[in-house]
Amino acid sequence: MMPMKSGSPPVALVTGASRGLGAVLVEFLLEEGFVVIGNARDPKGSKDLADRLPSAVGRLRLVSGDIAEPDTRRQLVAQVDELGRIDLLVNNASELGRSPLPTLAEYPVGEIDRVFRVNVHAPLSLIQGLLPALRESHGRIVNISSDAARGGYPGWGVYGASKAALDLLSLTFAHELDGSGVSVISVDPGDMRTAMHQAAYPGQDISDRPLPEATLPFWAWLLHQDASKVNGVRFQAQSDRWEVSP
Amino acid sequence: MTADVGEREISTGEGADRPPEERGIARDGVRLLVSTPEDEQHHDFRDLPELLRPGDLMVVNESATVAASLPSRSRLGEFLVNLSTWYGGDLWVAEPRWGPGRPGPLPLVPGDDLEVGGVECRVVAPYPGIPRLDFLRAGGDLTDAMKRVGRPIRYGYAAREFPLECYQTEFARVPGSAEMPSASRPFTQSLLRRLRSSGVEFASILLHAGVSSLEFGDFPKGVSPVFPEPFEVPAPTVAAIRRARARGSRVVAVGTTVVRALESATDSCGLRAARGFTRLYLHRERPVRSVDALLTGFHDARSTHLALLEAFVGIHRLRRSYAVAAREGYLWHEFGDSHLILGGPDGEAAQ
Repeated sequence: MMPMKSGSPPVALVTGASRGLGAVLVEFLLEEGFVVIGNARDPKGSKDLADRLPSAVGRLRLVSGDIAEPDTRRQLVAQVDELGRIDLLVNNASELGRSPLPTLAEYPVGEIDRVFRVNVHAPLSLIQGLLPALRESHGRIVNISSDAARGGYPGWGVYGASKAALDLLSLTFAHELDGSGVSVISVDPGDMRTAMHQAAYPGQDISDRPLPEATLPFWAWLLHQDASKVNGVRFQAQSDRWEVSP
Repeated sequence: MTADVGEREISTGEGADRPPEERGIARDGVRLLVSTPEDEQHHDFRDLPELLRPGDLMVVNESATVAASLPSRSRLGEFLVNLSTWYGGDLWVAEPRWGPGRPGPLPLVPGDDLEVGGVECRVVAPYPGIPRLDFLRAGGDLTDAMKRVGRPIRYGYAAREFPLECYQTEFARVPGSAEMPSASRPFTQSLLRRLRSSGVEFASILLHAGVSSLEFGDFPKGVSPVFPEPFEVPAPTVAAIRRARARGSRVVAVGTTVVRALESATDSCGLRAARGFTRLYLHRERPVRSVDALLTGFHDARSTHLALLEAFVGIHRLRRSYAVAAREGYLWHEFGDSHLILGGPDGEAAQ
């Protein structure tokens, strides 16, 4: 089990919590006994999530707002400070960019900034803001990556570049925080039937992709691994094996 | 994922409904069918030392069977919970069943409370795509509950309940398998002495087998028909396999779990030490390369074990040997007879 301070329940913070993988994770973590702080850009998304999980009242705290805005991140840090601990931070909120996905030759350069602000700046800034609490709780940080970070898939260049940047932040953090008790993990969840994936392929049938629930066995496994054995590792959640360092 | 043997015709023999000791036969007195690329030969398991060569390396699974079937109850009444896999801490994947011969799914939903072997548990989530399995969070020590009130998992075909010792092998060292790694069941101390003195070597892996009750029909499209299980291939075993290969000796996997562990520890650079969870599914489109021979039992037509055998020697050889085994009265299931399959080209393709 994850290291736990006695007395209070463990606390998880999930960004992009109202839909897709984020919502699945929130529900799983609540059932696993976590108090969950969830962030969603859209207030309606937050409300829908809360309505779906009536039994979570008091254990689910929702902060609506764009994760790219400093004020949203300040509110999230304040929630953690109020609870007094953070055992798990999942940087899941992601910006796909222009839909349908333009090739690099046609990419509107002015729109690259937004993708990097959500996918790179926001996680980095949130980790910075939470580091004192993460150190205190020996928390683990999970940054949600993508196979696009390595694939070179046509259309996915800008999004993939932002996730490749996030992967390098994860690995560098893992080295810089080595020995601090904080662990950093990068997770490529694989193709999933989500609103974001649909936005990447507007009008196309994506029903052959698995629902985000398909990644639950991986999360169940990851959350119970010894932090020192997974620090700095990049996992594929839908792979046929998950290995720890020797 | 539709590449399963279950879609095609293959012979099936009668299942053993009790251990050989209960049929008046010693553990190592079961029959052994030897399949070569050319033909089938009939032996006893005790002939194994004569069938192997000095220097051959047998790789065994050191996982011990646990008493994973626990009497349970909830608002639904009384039932069984078969603990399949421990994920660490308080988290398990389990198969609630009405009874040994009566599978679920039970109508359980996340948040439901149940008492499993006297321990308060809660349903965390259904296992994705497989309604018969659930993630359970335990409010107490289920390992202790297994020791107190657990029984070995059994299914409808078993004549009755048998003690846990009937489900242990000579190699059992680390508890964790919900179901016995049964290929190594016939080994006895005296047979091991004879094998060692004739120059056969041993190395081990660990793979804790989960429940085997599911068939291909239970898995929707896109869901791997093998679910994740803990495995470890230690460095000394990797070294022993390299030495065996270097001297031209054969690597003999004792059981399909060994093949899955070795294949899971093989990447583009070859075999290496590895530890984690694997759900690698070996079938005709994912051939087996890590072993030269496989000692196993006789498996149901719709099982992933059989798909693995097909991945090893091809459907033609498999059909041929299963036809012989069924005709000659070899016994299927974990208490049944044994099958030594020597690698080589697929029968029909070779002709």
